[in-house]
Amino acid sequence: MIRLQNVNKDYVGRPALANINLQIGLGEFAFLVGPSGAGKSTLMRLLYREEVPTSGKVLIGGVDITRLEPRQIPLLRRRLGIVFQDYKLLPRQTVFENVSYILRALGVEGDQVIRRVTSALCVVNLEDKADAYPDELSGGEQQRVGIARAIVNGPPVLLADEPTGNLDPQTSLEIVQLLERISQRGTTVLISTHDQFIVNSLRRRVVSLKGGQLISDVDSGVYEMEARA
Amino acid sequence: MRQIRILTQVARETFSGMKRSGWSNWLVIGILAMALTIFGGILQLTMTLKNVVDSWGSQLEISAYLKDGYEARMVAKRLSQLPNISLVEIVPKDVAWQDMQSRFRVASLKNPLPDTLHVRLMRADAVESTANAIRKVNGVEHVRYPLKVANSINRFRHFLEIAGLVLTASLTAATLIVIGNTIHLVIQARHREIEILSLMGVSPWYIRSPLVLQGALYGSLSALLAILNLGAVRLYFDSFLREQLVGFMPLFSQNLEYGMQPTFFALLVLGIVVGAGGSAWTSGRYIKI
Repeated sequence: MIRLQNVNKDYVGRPALANINLQIGLGEFAFLVGPSGAGKSTLMRLLYREEVPTSGKVLIGGVDITRLEPRQIPLLRRRLGIVFQDYKLLPRQTVFENVSYILRALGVEGDQVIRRVTSALCVVNLEDKADAYPDELSGGEQQRVGIARAIVNGPPVLLADEPTGNLDPQTSLEIVQLLERISQRGTTVLISTHDQFIVNSLRRRVVSLKGGQLISDVDSGVYEMEARA
Repeated sequence: MRQIRILTQVARETFSGMKRSGWSNWLVIGILAMALTIFGGILQLTMTLKNVVDSWGSQLEISAYLKDGYEARMVAKRLSQLPNISLVEIVPKDVAWQDMQSRFRVASLKNPLPDTLHVRLMRADAVESTANAIRKVNGVEHVRYPLKVANSINRFRHFLEIAGLVLTASLTAATLIVIGNTIHLVIQARHREIEILSLMGVSPWYIRSPLVLQGALYGSLSALLAILNLGAVRLYFDSFLREQLVGFMPLFSQNLEYGMQPTFFALLVLGIVVGAGGSAWTSGRYIKI
């Protein structure tokens, strides 16, 4: 589902990613780990075409997204669910409005919007908070709204960039377990994190980056201390 | 149906965006209304003066003196077929001679005057070309026309046209700048929201459309305010102006016809086009996906 071939990304001559080759299959669940500056966020930004690689190919569902025209980028992003560390919720809109925004912008029928948003809110266990505004919610709840928004359009791929960065360990674990449940429904999930606790709690595939290089890719792995050094 | 739902949603976004802008909407509309009022006033003045000058031009007269032996009526018919001619008046030589005799003491001579045609024009700038055309008509011996007056009128008319054009361009640019800066401020205030929408896969046109509509609404509301202002000015000053002008410049006041509908229409079109255009340009420039 996700494939990177010989991907390099330089920022003004400074390499952020060097010769990355990676493949994540349909419905797979993987962690992308590494210390700050390892290149995790850069790799995530390449996947949702916020950045383009200096060289190499990035394929999502067999399509090389580095070759997309600007007008095609929104179409790509609708096929991806993206979850952010800072939630990126619209502060003046309720939970329901935040989750339903993309559906309304696409002209989805009212009944369908209600059905799909309610279903997404059920998945994240926030049905009773539909009318709340983001600032009335805890950090964990806001992140769950972010996840509901990411899955409401039924994307085959879900990217979560440091989704637990602003949360306490217990809430972080709940969020990652929620993402794992979503993956079990057939969605490819890639989570970038430097949180050793959650990675080691789940024992799933772990892709490690260090200094912009892919240093290990292990099924049922852990986040090794050496990898953080 | 889906398109209608999307358009309804865009309209909702526009009104919610304007609601959020609060009092600053009225500030922008007020500034634009002032600019459009000035623009409308100048446009109206320019058009009215142009009408007056044009009417002066239509009172210019070319005199064509005919050769002996030619039928004045036939020559007049040929002249009336030339372009830019509004009226051809025949003055037979007998009538002219009697008129002269009644005004001046002249010796009892054989009538030396020719048949004359007085030609009225539609436009002052056509005097010279029409006089040349008349000169070539068979039977015309000599042509006289007020070239200096015509040239003065043409220069004034030309000046009015240029002044109108410059003022229109300046005020259009000023309106564009006000709209553009306002929408730029809106974009800056909402940049985080715009970033979120872009990451969610919302199309750029959907993000920009409410801003373009907002600009068009600013433009149209400002134009309506400017129309009200100009209408009020006309209501209160029209009779006063006419009274004053009758005393000072009777000819000017006779030709002071100024229907304001074209100006109102121009203001509305300018407001909407410049409002939407300025917003589209600014949002295209600052909202990058």
